[in-house]
Amino acid sequence: MHGRLALGLVAVGAAAAVPLVAGQHILTALIVALHASYIALAWNVAAGYAGQFSLGHSLFYGIGAYASTMLYLKLGLTPWAGMFAGAAIAGAVGVLLALGVYRYNVRGIFFALVTLGAAEVAKGLADNWDWVKGPVGILLTMKAAPAEFFFLRREPYYYVALAMVVAMIVISLVLERSRLGQHFLAVREDEAAAEASGVDTYRAKTIAIGLSAALTAFAGSFYAQFYLYVSPETVFTFEPQLTMMLGTMVGGAGTALGPVLGSVLFSGLGEALRNLPFENTRQVVIGSKLVYAILLIVILIYLPGGLITLGRRKP
Amino acid sequence: MSALLAVRGVSKRFGGLQALNNVTFGVGHREIVGIIGPNGAGKTTLFNVITGVYAPDEGHVELRGLKVTGWAPHRICRLGAARTFQIGKPFAALSVLQTVRIGALNRIESMAGATARALEVLELVGLADKREHLGKNLTVIERKRLELARALATGPALLLLDEVAAGLRPNEIQDMIALVRRIAAGGVSVLIIEHVLEAVMRLSARIVVLNYGEVIAEGSPQSLVNDPRVIEAYLGEAYTLA
Repeated sequence: MHGRLALGLVAVGAAAAVPLVAGQHILTALIVALHASYIALAWNVAAGYAGQFSLGHSLFYGIGAYASTMLYLKLGLTPWAGMFAGAAIAGAVGVLLALGVYRYNVRGIFFALVTLGAAEVAKGLADNWDWVKGPVGILLTMKAAPAEFFFLRREPYYYVALAMVVAMIVISLVLERSRLGQHFLAVREDEAAAEASGVDTYRAKTIAIGLSAALTAFAGSFYAQFYLYVSPETVFTFEPQLTMMLGTMVGGAGTALGPVLGSVLFSGLGEALRNLPFENTRQVVIGSKLVYAILLIVILIYLPGGLITLGRRKP
Repeated sequence: MSALLAVRGVSKRFGGLQALNNVTFGVGHREIVGIIGPNGAGKTTLFNVITGVYAPDEGHVELRGLKVTGWAPHRICRLGAARTFQIGKPFAALSVLQTVRIGALNRIESMAGATARALEVLELVGLADKREHLGKNLTVIERKRLELARALATGPALLLLDEVAAGLRPNEIQDMIALVRRIAAGGVSVLIIEHVLEAVMRLSARIVVLNYGEVIAEGSPQSLVNDPRVIEAYLGEAYTLA
């Protein structure tokens, strides 16, 4: 245990030292990888631990992005606080959605479809809501205002992203060792047996979605501050959802480090593919999606528990 | 003697099938009661009604003096009735220890306390040396023991066992009988569905016979083996107690 803690601290220390040697381009790639790791871990809380395979997490991601941005633009609230407001709103939406969906015993593939639909509805609403600038989206101005979560250089964003991932790993580890986390696992494995063991499955599933939603929203706010642009087409689409799923499934669902491993791999791959001699952007996009798909299929067939299982001894 | 479990006039219908029809019986404190009957007699449905998986169409179930009709299964488990599943439902990707610990968390808040309790129960059912094995890698017999351990770890006043001896070899049946006796000796009442007559006859002080969803006889094992209705419906031929 102490050995692992030491190893973890060394890893965090090494990651913290990266900006001393890395240029802005590498840092950007690493921020993208950390951001992907974070949202994968946040989705993993519901999908990996509790087995609630949501396809609508872009909904919560988008709520985070829009909430902190609108609160900043309309009320002047610093996004440092706005991101917590976004998390609270996303958590509440997640809980309400879960209460309704689970009340009617929607599960498995149907649950996945309902959540996917919820994200689509959110996109439709944002597209048609003038107050949030509809499909045009909202541009934030680049400036140096650390108190308002705006930086000109990459380093501060890198440290924020790193801190978020470290916090998310700690949350996952604490969850794994808690009564609530054990209830999540029981729900994932078999709901009837979980109920027969005294687990309130309705409550556990609702908490799983609410918690996962709130955690996901923080990443949406980070996205807005980093890219300085929020639109339905960037936050409420399937893209963030895909990032969460690829990283988690490939790295290892229901573990605290698997989603990081998978996300870093995919982000690195995306970076590498960009340097291939394609004719245009469209070919890059199609080409990399093809590679993602093949890699995903191969890993799911040969390593159904994800890459993380490679390092585990078979009992 | 105040009843621990009282089933009063319970009926349950699935479409055109009357699975249970006006079933009434009870289980007292520290009592072992058996339920026998041919396949399709409604035994498992009865368990499902008692443990809150199904709400009865008519009648009600009382546990520790409280009407629990309509309660969710986890609340009934909290109140003190835990069941095993006929077709074992191991948590496939979880270890034996994790599975039983989830049961133990029903009464114990802390993980350390629940782990200690789970290890005690695993010792009792003889699965202690398999504690790191995953549910999906267990044999049928080990799954039955795991089911029993998971249910027992929830700290029940009433344990409902659904065919825990089925499919076991003769010496394993003896072990299972001894195990259920040990559990009962610890102050837990047991309601047991069983096709292995030797097990149910030797364990139960009283047996309820179900046929087509109705209670057709109730009494001591000795009295039932000579009851012509029971012989016709279930035993098939004169059954003698070994």
